Amino acid sequence: MNKILVSDIINLSNEDYILNIKNKDAIINIEGNVKLYLINELINKINFNLKDNSNLVIYLFNNNIKNKTIFNINQNNKTKLNLNISIINNDNCELIVNNNLNGNNNESIIKSRLVSNKKFNKLIINAYIDKNTLNNIALEDLKGINNGGVVHIEPNIICLSNEVSANHLTTIGNFSKESVNYLMSKGLNQDLAKQIMLKGFIYSNMDEYIKNWEVNNA
Amino acid sequence: MLKIDNLNISINNKILIENLNLQINKGEIHVLMGRNGIGKSSLAKTIMGNQNYQVTGHIYFNNEDITNLSIYERSKRGIYTISQNPVEIEGVTNAEMLRTALSDKNESPINILKFNKELEEICQKLDLDKSFIHREINVGCSGGEKKKIELMHMWMLKPSFLILDEIDSGLDVDAIKLVANSIKEYLNKYQPGILIITHSNVLINTFDNYFVHLLDDKKLLKSGKKELATEILNKGFKEITSKLDEHLL
Repeated sequence: MNKILVSDIINLSNEDYILNIKNKDAIINIEGNVKLYLINELINKINFNLKDNSNLVIYLFNNNIKNKTIFNINQNNKTKLNLNISIINNDNCELIVNNNLNGNNNESIIKSRLVSNKKFNKLIINAYIDKNTLNNIALEDLKGINNGGVVHIEPNIICLSNEVSANHLTTIGNFSKESVNYLMSKGLNQDLAKQIMLKGFIYSNMDEYIKNWEVNNA
Repeated sequence: MLKIDNLNISINNKILIENLNLQINKGEIHVLMGRNGIGKSSLAKTIMGNQNYQVTGHIYFNNEDITNLSIYERSKRGIYTISQNPVEIEGVTNAEMLRTALSDKNESPINILKFNKELEEICQKLDLDKSFIHREINVGCSGGEKKKIELMHMWMLKPSFLILDEIDSGLDVDAIKLVANSIKEYLNKYQPGILIITHSNVLINTFDNYFVHLLDDKKLLKSGKKELATEILNKGFKEITSKLDEHLL
């Protein structure tokens, strides 16, 4: 795994990278198949530009964002984006993702699992599908748990083209009482039951690398 | 083992059970029968400690008053429920839940090798694919698979009192037979007290001896041995309860 210090503009291609964002604003150009890990990075704004025929997978894990973060992700032709956001937060935070599908035959899948332990946590996902584009797919699967704090999610898909397949799903809730009771009936106290469910909720959006990182650094 | 003393159960000011008394000893099977919506599952949930109900009276377990204990505390003392439709827990695997529960119960980390070996043996016994060990609890499982998973949990956690709430509903005959044989084996090995709620005799016919209670009109109207179950299933609840009403008049 490559560890990369991102200071300004960087070109990444055909590798997996762990990013360390030095400047809080960065531009990242993607070519080929790229997987990025952003773990507990303090970011203001990142612009991702996917060249034609590129695939980008991002795992964003953060266990306490305190600021406003903006991702601008630009897809042109025949690109695939898989953005996985996992956040456990104790402070106010705001994450905005602007995903622009400017060309044809692109696919965008954005998944979030957000847990608010305290205060107000806002997630805004904007997918823009440009006019006169063809065969784009945009899917948003966004879930949040109010675990003492408040989660606010805005799942926006703005389609200016008719030739698009778009779908969004958003759920925000508390821990299911029935599930907590079930785990308690198996011998887990209420705190352990919630803890194990919270871990499962966040882990459902992580790959093995980031799960191992979380286990070793928890 | 379990003693229910003058128990009253209500929910949202609606009385479900009035002045119910019942004692279930170690190694005994008690079958609770009654019409739909009469309060059988509410009684099961109350024994397990569900806080949705208003309860007066007492529930004793091994001579300890557990009426005000939480579900967790009751589970720690050995009470275990298998319901007709166990919940699905996304993101939590069977192995992870069992490891956590057993570590808490034993107050020490478990031996992983021994744990895995035991789980694999239980899966084999239940004709359950080993992959279920690391699958999310009951997620995407059929009714039969869910019951086997609950039995897998039971064999690992080794409770001393079982509440089986219509676990035979929705299962085919072969699946019921497997579930029944597993419970019979568990009964022979650990001698738990068992409360079975059922509408059919397929499950209970596996057992040689059991007590039967008919719940109606908020109370146990009639109690008897296994012949009562046959009578109820042959005649139906309506005929039996109306005869009892005439007798009482």
